[in-house]
This record gives sequence, C-alpha cells and structure tokens, in this order.
Amino acid sequence: MTGALTGGCQCGAVRFRAGRLGGAAICHCRMCQKAFGGFFGPLVSGYEVVWTRGAPSYFQSSDRFHRGFCAACGTPLTYERLGRGADEPVELAIGALDDPRLAPPSRQVRYAGRLPFFDCLTALPARSAEDEARLAAAPPISFQHPDHDTAEWPGPGHDEGSHV
Amino acid sequence: MPQPELPLTGGCQCGAVRYALSMAPVGVHLCHCRMCQKAVAGPFAVICPVLKSEFKLTRGEMSHFYSSDVARRGFCNQCGTPLTFEYPDAEDIGILGGTLDDPSAAPPVVQHGNESRVSWYGEIAHLPGNRPTYADNPQMLARISGSNHQHPDHETAVWPPVSHPGAEA
Repeated sequence: MTGALTGGCQCGAVRFRAGRLGGAAICHCRMCQKAFGGFFGPLVSGYEVVWTRGAPSYFQSSDRFHRGFCAACGTPLTYERLGRGADEPVELAIGALDDPRLAPPSRQVRYAGRLPFFDCLTALPARSAEDEARLAAAPPISFQHPDHDTAEWPGPGHDEGSHV
Repeated sequence: MPQPELPLTGGCQCGAVRYALSMAPVGVHLCHCRMCQKAVAGPFAVICPVLKSEFKLTRGEMSHFYSSDVARRGFCNQCGTPLTFEYPDAEDIGILGGTLDDPSAAPPVVQHGNESRVSWYGEIAHLPGNRPTYADNPQMLARISGSNHQHPDHETAVWPPVSHPGAEA
C-alpha cells in the first residue's frame, strides 16, 4: 500500500488518481449491497479524479445515478450522479484505493438497511493463526495489479499479494 | 440457527446473471485478504461456500477473472457485480453474500485473511448514522424509488421489464 491517492480494479485494466478525498461512509442500502456483492457499499468522495488507464463501464442503477466498474474483472469502482458537474466529486469504492486506510468511513447511511448480523461482524472469531500460517507458506501466484501505478501492465511478474 | 428455505436465489445488480442454490451455505466467512478487498472494492469479501453441484445458473453466464494461478472470480460483465470466488479444482464455490436475494439467510461465522484487515475495520459498527438517507428530501427519495433499475430480490420470468420497479438508488 502506497499512501498515494491512486487506485483501480483488481486486474489493473482501469486505474485512477484523485486530487483529494472528502467524506467517507458505508451505505447499507440494498442497491449498494447487491452492486458490491457484500453487506454494504463503502464509498469516499473523490475530487479531481482522472482515469489514468482505461475507463470504467457503467450500469445505470436508477434514473439519477450510474455505477462504474471494470468490464474485464468486475471490480466495482464508482457511484456517480448522472450529469455530475466538473467540480462535483466522484464517489469512489474505498477498497479500490491502493491504500484503503486513507479513507476511514466516518458515518453510516441507509442505516435502516443494516443486515441483522452487521453489528456483530467485528466480534466474529478469526481463522486460527496456524491455518493462516499454513496458507501463507505456499502462496499462489497472484495476477492482481499491485497497489501502486505501473508503467505497463500486465508486467513481467505478478508478485504482489500472498492470497488468491 | 434455523435453516433457510431452499432454493436460495440471487444474482447481479442488473439481473443479467441469476443463480439458485439447492443447499444452505456452510462456513460463511468474511475474507480480509487484499485480493478479496480489491475484487469487491471494499474492506472484506463475504464468501458463502456451497457445493458446485448445488449451484446452478438460472439466467445468463458469468465472466471470470483469474486472480491468481489457482483461483478465479465470477462477475457480471453487464453491471460489474462480483458474484463468486472459486478454486476450479475444488468441490465447492464461494457465493458473494450480498448477491443473495436475502443476504440475512447466510450469516457469517468466521473471519479469514485477518493479517490484512483495514485499519478502521473495528470501528464500522460504531459509526454514527441513524437518519434515513433523503429523510429531508422525500422528492428525491420518490424519484429514485420510482426509477430503480436493480433486479428485484426474487426470480423474474422476464428481465428487464418494460418499466423498472424498485425502491433505491
């Protein structure tokens, strides 16, 4: 993780850079749940966002908003108002940032949509250290784009990440 | 825990890909690994394992990205929704929890990839926010509700419909 305001999809076909980040939130609405395939949508306002490699494809999820994603690997990337002004932020998917630590959410929206087990997630048991160590000992070869910009991609080696 | 009624159905946001599970997922887990984080663009993925023999596509086809030499991830190439994680050689496949029509039917029981949890993960349940979105703007809420293009959380004979029903953005 780099600390730069860069990010992109898992395969690296689409990359972006933000000039600065604004507020971050997790959204519990059913639209965000399904679009992200998860329990909530994690979004941060990105200002002066430029696409530095490729461009997202879009699904228009309602008459006022569309959602950007990578058509090559599926990673959700943005939530944007149609007709957004040039100085209006792009809502970026936090996990697509190369360093998601830079966008800690400060609030929850569509709170009523929380799944019944949401409040207890952080208290779930962790997989045992032995199992984690056993898996880390024989890592697969990752094809994920590294968490920083690259001059060329796919590169000569896929050496980032010890997971699958 | 009570067993959910089978089959469990689900699919992508736009509805081009739909599936049915003829068994309840076993060992549902959050995975915090950086691969899962980036694939779903969030702090963790929700993986719901079922036997491949009990997973059937009922509409459309998934696209796949091989995220490593041993695993691939299924998604909808029309709307981008992440749908599955699998080792092609394994007997089971992981369904991404939020794509179930009723994600509450598969509560997680354990967490994996804990070495790469995001720094702010422990705080998420305590973040403020109990005011419904657009509570102060009912016109906006009505406009979004009246134009939701997301596939409904149940099977449909034909999709997309002539007009999209729905309730959110």
